Formats: sequence, C-alpha cells, structure tokens
Amino acid sequence: MKEHAKKMNKFLPNLIALCLSSTVMANTDWNKIEADAKGQTVYFNAWGGGENINAYIDWAAVQAKKKYGVTVKHVKVTDASGIVKRIKTEVDAGRTTEGSVDLLWVNGENFKALKQAKLLYGPWAESLPNWRYVDLKKPVRVDFSEPTDGLEMPWGTAQLTFIANQTTVKNPPRSAQALLAFAKANAGQVSYPKPPDFHGTTFLKQLLLELAPDAKALQQAVSPESFRKASAPLWAYLDQLHPVLWRKGSSFPKSAADMNRMLADGELKLSLTFNPNEAANLIATQQLPKTAYSFGFSKGTIGNVHFLAIPSNAKAQAGAQVFANFLLSPEAQAKKADLTVWGDPSVLALEKIPVQYRQSMQMTAPGVLSEKVPTLAEPHSSWVAALEAEWLKRYGAK
Amino acid sequence: MMVARWASKGSTLLAIGLVSVVFLPVLPGLVRMGFDFFQISHWLAIWQDTQTIPALMATLGSTLISGVLALALSLSIAIEKYPSNAWRSIVKRLPILLAMPHAAFAIGFAFLFAPAGWLARAIAPLMAWHSPPDWLTVQDPYGLSLGVALAIKESFFLLWVMMNLLGERHIAQQITVARSLGYQRQQIWRSIILPQILPRMMWPFAAVLAYSLSVVDMALILGPTTPPTFAVLAWQWLSDPYPQLQAQGGVAALILLMALLIFGGLLRGVAWVYQRSTVDFDGVRLPNRVSIMSWLYQLGAGISFSLMILILIWSLAQSWFFPALWPDELSVKAWLNADFTPFKTSLWLGLATSLIALVMVLIWLEWGPQRNNAWLYAPLILPVIPLSAAQYFALLYLHLDGTVIGLIWSHLLWVLPYVLLSLVGAYRQFDPRLMLTAQALGYPRWQACLCIKWPLLMRQILSAFALGFAVSIAQYLPTLFAGAGRFSTVTTEAIALSSGGNRRIMAIQAVLLMLLPMLAFALAAIVSHWQAKHRRGLR
Amino acid sequence: MLEIKSLCIKQTNQALISVLNVQIAQGEVLTLMGASGSGKSTVLHWMIGALDPVFTATGELKLNGKRVDQIPTEQRRIGILFQDDLLFAHLSVGQNLAFALPSEIKGKSHRRQVIEEQLAQIGLLGFYDRDPATLSGGQRARVSVLRTLLAQPQALLLDEPFGKLDAVLREQFRAFVFERVKALAIPTLLVTHDIADIPPQGRVLQIEDFQHA
Repeated sequence: MKEHAKKMNKFLPNLIALCLSSTVMANTDWNKIEADAKGQTVYFNAWGGGENINAYIDWAAVQAKKKYGVTVKHVKVTDASGIVKRIKTEVDAGRTTEGSVDLLWVNGENFKALKQAKLLYGPWAESLPNWRYVDLKKPVRVDFSEPTDGLEMPWGTAQLTFIANQTTVKNPPRSAQALLAFAKANAGQVSYPKPPDFHGTTFLKQLLLELAPDAKALQQAVSPESFRKASAPLWAYLDQLHPVLWRKGSSFPKSAADMNRMLADGELKLSLTFNPNEAANLIATQQLPKTAYSFGFSKGTIGNVHFLAIPSNAKAQAGAQVFANFLLSPEAQAKKADLTVWGDPSVLALEKIPVQYRQSMQMTAPGVLSEKVPTLAEPHSSWVAALEAEWLKRYGAK
Repeated sequence: MMVARWASKGSTLLAIGLVSVVFLPVLPGLVRMGFDFFQISHWLAIWQDTQTIPALMATLGSTLISGVLALALSLSIAIEKYPSNAWRSIVKRLPILLAMPHAAFAIGFAFLFAPAGWLARAIAPLMAWHSPPDWLTVQDPYGLSLGVALAIKESFFLLWVMMNLLGERHIAQQITVARSLGYQRQQIWRSIILPQILPRMMWPFAAVLAYSLSVVDMALILGPTTPPTFAVLAWQWLSDPYPQLQAQGGVAALILLMALLIFGGLLRGVAWVYQRSTVDFDGVRLPNRVSIMSWLYQLGAGISFSLMILILIWSLAQSWFFPALWPDELSVKAWLNADFTPFKTSLWLGLATSLIALVMVLIWLEWGPQRNNAWLYAPLILPVIPLSAAQYFALLYLHLDGTVIGLIWSHLLWVLPYVLLSLVGAYRQFDPRLMLTAQALGYPRWQACLCIKWPLLMRQILSAFALGFAVSIAQYLPTLFAGAGRFSTVTTEAIALSSGGNRRIMAIQAVLLMLLPMLAFALAAIVSHWQAKHRRGLR
Repeated sequence: MLEIKSLCIKQTNQALISVLNVQIAQGEVLTLMGASGSGKSTVLHWMIGALDPVFTATGELKLNGKRVDQIPTEQRRIGILFQDDLLFAHLSVGQNLAFALPSEIKGKSHRRQVIEEQLAQIGLLGFYDRDPATLSGGQRARVSVLRTLLAQPQALLLDEPFGKLDAVLREQFRAFVFERVKALAIPTLLVTHDIADIPPQGRVLQIEDFQHA
C-alpha cells in the first residue's frame, strides 16, 4: 500500500506535468497558427440568402480583422454543392495548395462527399482553444450519421420549424397527416421549396421519418431495396399532396426565405425554416407581420448541427482556423443567438460559458418557437441523394 | 520605307495579337467539351432525364415568342410612326430603354406581374381578393412570361437597329413616292420597305434568338422552375459536383448551339422563300387597319419605364405586403445599411473592361485586317454557357481563376464585339482624305490618329465606351465562372437575392444595377456635348 | 388647275416662305427657281404632304377646285418625281410599273399587256422582267417618269429631276417629260436651279420673291 502510494506520488506530478506541457504545447501550436493567420485573407463560402446571416458574418469579419488581423471575405453561395464541385475541379486540375475556398459552411451530404474524396483539411476542430465550451451532449461529432473526425467544427444547431400567421391559421397541423388534411382544406396555399434546396430536402426527410414503416432503416446506408420499401409511403403521400399545393405542384418556391415573403403577402399559409428563432428575427426586421408564430410537429422535427470545414487545398488554412475559432467563441456565439441579430442557436454549453453571454442565448420574443419540440435524428446522409434523385424523376418536370 | 513597312506589319500583328488573346484561349475548353459531345452515354442520360423535354419546350417556346413578338412590336411601331414627330420622340427614349439591364428588367417585371405583385394588388379590390390568386403569371411552365419579357426588351433593340437602317434618306423618299402613287403606309411597308430592310435585319434577329435561347439570368427570375429552361438546366448540370452531370452539362450547352444553328437555318429558309415570292401588284390600294401591335409597343415602353419607378419604390419600402398599393412606410434606412461592394466591383470592372476593349478595337480598326472580321462577332451569336465554361477551364489551367485579370479577360470576350459593332460603321465611313491631309502635312499615322481621327470620332467612341460598360455590367455567367465566386457584381448580387425573401435589398441592388449604364451613357453624352460646344461640325 | 393660296412656311419662328400665291393651268409647266438650299424642295414637300416636322406651314392647296392640303398624301392624286429615280430595287421594271397602275385595270395578263405597251412607247420594249439595276441612268429615269404617270395623277411635281443626268441625256429626257405632261394636260410644277430646264414659253417664279426676312 505504501509502495503503491509512493508510486502514485511520483506518478501524479508527472501526469500533471504532462498535461501542463501538452496544454503549453497546444498553446504554442495555436500561437503559431495565430501568427501565421495575421494578414491572411480568408474566403468564407457561406449561404448568402439571408440578410441577417450576411449581416452577422459582416460583423464577425470586422471583429476578426480587429482582433487577429485576418481579412474575411464572405462569398455568397446559393448552393453548397456547387462549391463542392469547385473544390473537386480545382484539386483534379492539380490545384492542391492555392484553392479558392478557405472556409466552408457545410453539412450532410456535402460534407460526406468532401470527406470521402479526401478533400478536407484536418483534423483541426477539436484542437481549437474554444472547443472547451462546446456542449458535447449535442450531436456535435456526427453529421447525418457520419462521424466528423474533427474535420469540421460545429457552428450552430438547427431544427426544422414551421411558421404561420395567427390571423389566418389558429390551429396549425402538427403531423404529416394533419398537414395533408390542412393542405386539402387550404388548397393552393401550402408548398415547400423545390429539392435539392436544403430546406425542401429536409421537408422530404421529415415526411419520410414520419411515414416510413421502419425508422431504424433510415439510420443505415441506403440500398435500392431499403429505399423502395421506406419511401413508398412518402411518394403515395406526395401524390396526394401535390395536386392541392400552391400552383398545383407545377412550380415551387425558390427558397424558404421566399416562402416567408409569400407568407407575409398571404400567398401561403405556412412557411418553414431551420432556425427556431427565424420568425422572431423576421418580425423584428418587419419582414413578417407581428402575428406570425413558430410551431413544430408533436412527435418532433428533424434537428441537426451545421458545421464549418476547411478544404484540403485551402490557401489560408491558419486564417480559416483562427476565424473559425472566433466564431466558436462565447462572444460570437452569443451574438449569433441574439434574436435581433440572427437567432441561430448556439452549440456551446450554457454552463461552460461566462455569465454575461448566457442571456442572449436564452432570449425569447414573439414568434420564437416557444414549445418544446422533440428533435428527430437525421437519416443517414446517403438517403439524401436518393431522395432528391427520385423526387426529381417523379415531380421534377410537370 | 522598309521601316514603315515593318512598322505597319508590326502594328497589324499587334492588332491581331491583342484580339487573339481575348478569343483564342477559349478554344481548348470548347474542344474539350466537343469530346464529350461524341459520347453516347451523355446523350442517353440527357434523353432519359424527365426534365429534358419540358425544359426544351420552355426554351424553344420562350425563344419563338420573344423573337416573333419583338419583331412584330418593333415593326408595327416603325410602320405606324416613321417618319413623324412621334417617331422622333420614340427614338429619343430608346437609349434609356436599351440601357436598362436585362436582370433589372426581369426583377421589375416580376414585381409588377407576380400574383402578389403590384398589378394584382391594383385589381384586388375589383376581384375581391384577400390573398394573392393562385395563378402562374410569372415562372409559368411554358416560359410565356419569360418570352413576353424578353420580347419587350428585344423589341427596343430591334427598333434601334431599324432606326439606323431607316436613317438613310432614300427610304423616306421612297415612302413619299409610293404615297404619291396612292398607297397607304401599311401597304407601302409590306410591299416596298420591308423587302429592303428585313434582309439587313437577319443578323440582329439571329442575335435576338441566340440571346433568348441561352439566357440564364432572366430565366432564373421569370422562367419556369420545374423544370427550368434548358439553358438553366445545362448550367445547373455544369455546376454539379458529379463529373457525369458536368459532362452532360457541356453536351447540353452544345445542344443549345445546335438549336441556334437550326433556327438560323430556318430563318435563312424563310428569307429565301420571302425573297423568291413573286409579287403581282393588282394595283388595289388597301386602307390602313388599326394597328394593335403598335399600341402594344407603346405599352411595352410604358411598362419598362414604370418598372424603373417600381423598383425604386421597393428599395425604399419598409414593409409592403399584399394587398397594399403603396408601402406602409418609406425610409432610406435600408439604403444607408446597404452593401455597396458589388456596386464598386461592377464599377471598376466595367471601366477597366471597356477601356481595354476600346483601345483594342481602335488599334484593330486602324491597323488590323480590314476584311474577314465576321468571326469577331461570334460571341454575340453563340450561347453564353459553353463560352463561359471554356473560359473557366482556361483560367483554371493558368491559375488565373478568381483573379482580377481573369475576370476582366473573361468579360472582354463579350465587351469587345459590342464595342467593335458600335464603332465599325462610323470608322469605315470616316473620310480617308482627312487622314491623308494630316499625313501629307508630315504627321505619322499614329499621330494623325491621336490628333485628328479619334478626336473627330469622339462622339462615337464615347458611346461605344458606354455600350461596352453596359455590357460588362450585365454579364452574369462569366462573372460567376471566371470570378470563382470571389467577385460579386450588382448583377450577380441582385439575382442571388431574387431567390431570397427580402425584396428591399434586392431592389436596392437592382436600382444600382440600372444606375450604372445610365450614368455611363449620360457621361458619354455630356462629354460629347461639351466637346462639340464650339464646334458645330462635330454634332 | 393647281392653286396655292397664301402659303407661309416657318422653321421655328423663322419664315422660310412668305405668302406664296400661284395658279397653274392644265397642261402648263410652271418653273420655280432659286439657289440651292433656298427652300424650293420644301414647298414641294408641303404640296405632296411630306413636310419635314421641323417646319410649320399655313395656307391652302387646291386641285381642280378641291382642297387637298388637309388630306393624306395617298389621297391627293399628285405625282412627284425626285432627282433620284427611286425605282424599287427588289422589284423588276415591270413590277415597279404594276405597282403604280390603278386597280381599275384588272386581270393579270391584261395589266401586263398594258404595261408592256407603255414600255414600248418609251422605247423599252421587252424590259418587263429586267432588274432595274441593270438599266442605264437614262433608261431608269424614263421608267421612273412612266411609273409616276401611270398612276394617273391630276397634277405633277418635279423636284430637280434632271440633275443627275449628263447634258445630252438631259435634253432628251426634258423633252420627253414635257411632251408627256402636255399629252396628259395636267398642271405641273418644276423646281430647279438651272435656267436651261425652263420649258419654252413657260412661266417662271423666283422663290426669292417670296422670302422676306
């Protein structure tokens, strides 16, 4: 016993020293990265369809310049798969170091495509200094059932949320079947964005989750057999839904943002978004009437985490990491979660961050999703391509 | 003497060299796409895709509508109003209508005609609508709204072409003679004038068809979505990560080219039949009929002007939901917070591109080969997609994608032909004796150009510059491809925002988009006016 | 009879022609003379109803007692011949003439016959299907006159029609035109700056007489 204790006495200090030195080493690594980043220009490719998001990114860019000397340029993207294609084309053409994309807002099937083609730099996400604030209870290490392996950094959480207007819709539908009945009762005033828009695809996935006979099969990689079995009820449902949709399903809204506008004009009765706080944000900027509100399905809606990744051929890798680290910081995350700014929920754990930032993450305002809607897990990423292709085949040309 | 000959040979080589830099690097990319063209698998894939046939129908439909309607509109107004005072005022308003960029026009058109748009709101009280009707006024699956919008815009272009053709004195005299023989205007035009002008309008008309076939920016805003027009489809395929679909996109782009050639062939056939048709005049003098088409032209012009105002109001509107006819609140808040980076980008890009193009064109016109220049106009007729994609390949290879040089170079491919087209007439008609006089006075050729020829042509040079500037502003696909997403111009920004929900910020970019070409033309007019203030001979 | 009453033509408040009064009898050729650019052609344009919009005109024009200055060109029955022959280049010689021939002459073959006869009379037998561009200047001028006269105008205006012809052709053509006009007995107004164009014993007006500052 005494010998054991003696050994422990020797062991513990060494252990502490080891931990300390590794943090010291990590710190010096990070100092080097920060030093490299100074003066670099980071091309941040992120979806540009949201005014509030663009404004937030502009703010973050100003902060990055001030604090770290990193110039951030927001490249407004309409579709992330186009960026994946660009990275692939560049690397195929031999451009392995001076790529045009430094930091990419991505998740799901696009992440999977990049990871499989070994087009991602890293692992880097978990060595960021601000990683210590991340809420590990949230699914921050898995992206549509694909492990991130530290190749992408969680940025915010998302949950499929519906928006309606109190004045026209007092009892919103809270399940797929209820939605079908609602659409029939309000013919021509319900729709969803055309896949492969990611909101539209998520809507399809939501319906699939509710209608598929075996939900567990959706967590596995897709196969022609499992696809046929699982999606049959979905197509039967859509065949009933489309004739009563807006424009009878011969045309679809360009995006969820456009649907919000149509909701405000009264052209549609429902809109959808990934951001539970979006309605509040839009009310505050006078893009939705004050009577708009958010709701979810009673059995739950799809939720996920969205990420930031660095391509393998990125030119400003250090700068990208420094900027990403800033975006992960409590200050940036709090500002992001602020309903008057963007309202995108944070990936950080409330109890881990300094007190002064906690309030903005718990804000509530008219329009916010006030009820507790359970989060359903995303299906495996391979289902996305299959769903989109089949949808396009069946409904892509009317 | 030898020096002079070498100098002139050298200048010719310089002229050819400069222009080749713009055109030649595109060829490798086109050749590469050509290889894909011969692979049956791509053709099969395109054939089997359910989107293909409807997309083709929408494209062909909108092209036919736009071509025929534009021709009918411009012809009708010319027949009705030429050559009276009304004609002069119509022609005076053309430059503004021409300068309005297509993307801005499409945005305004959508504002006006969408089910939640202004027109619907205006008739909502009559129809007792509480919410916008479920009608497909814009983005209809057959491309009708796209066709009509294109027709209105193209009618201005065709009218401008006609205006230049009709400016020749003998046309007016022929009309007078024919009228003195007892004929009325419509019959005169049918029998006498059209057979003379229409053959000369074939190339401009082909350009109209080419544009309508391959337009992407207007189709994104006004064209169908399920599926989109074939041009948009080709572009989507080209932008897809899967190499299969990329190659498919290349083949689709070349299919568009084929469609254009077929249209061209049909056009030639119609022209041939037209010219061979025997005319047997029975001497009957027919009375004029009411020309609805000419009224429609005036309507089209009126719509275009009101679109500009509508976009401006939208940019100032705070909240403006259906069915309000006027915004709830007007404020400049959005303008103060607006992003002017795309504006600045468009500005320097346009200036740089048109300046460089102008210099190249002047050198070419002065020292380049005087004949066989037709191939320089090819970008005006060819579809944008294959050319832009080929440019991107070249830039990627040279590591110039996403750079300023690459972007300017890619714009030059379209700006240069327009500047050339605008200048070539006046340049070739320049009295050669003026240059001869200067040279006889002892000035070498390049000095004579700088001091005599170009100042005398300043009005035409400035307006060619303004035209080149406007063309650069309007470029959409080339900016996306060559800029590798790094540069956002007012055009790319406005179109990207058109799929979002915030009309306010989109309207702001659209206003800026309209402003730029107008500023250029106004500047050109002011400078020429100032130059001609004390020199009446220049006017 | 062709009568001009109190014609005043102004160009933005500057008078070009002041109070022109003239009467031309049937078969008479009145010559209006003046220097180049003095406004003679403008008077003709007013008479034919094709006045350039930069001018404003007041006055009356009467043809055989009927007032014609308010009605459109095509109803005035006044023919005009310009300096350029203005033959329609896309039509053959015969088609140019058929265009002018009134519809009262019916029947395709009958009309062709009439035109061929007329062509023979001016020495161009068999020229029906010829391309106007292949004719000489003098031949084109003759066809142009024939075309104008085939429409059976009740008055004729000549806007320096001999200007483009060389001296020899000029004389022949002049004689030809005057002879035709006499045969048809219509009032004719000839505008020229060349004294040699004046027909023998023809009346002459100087345009300067009607241009007061």
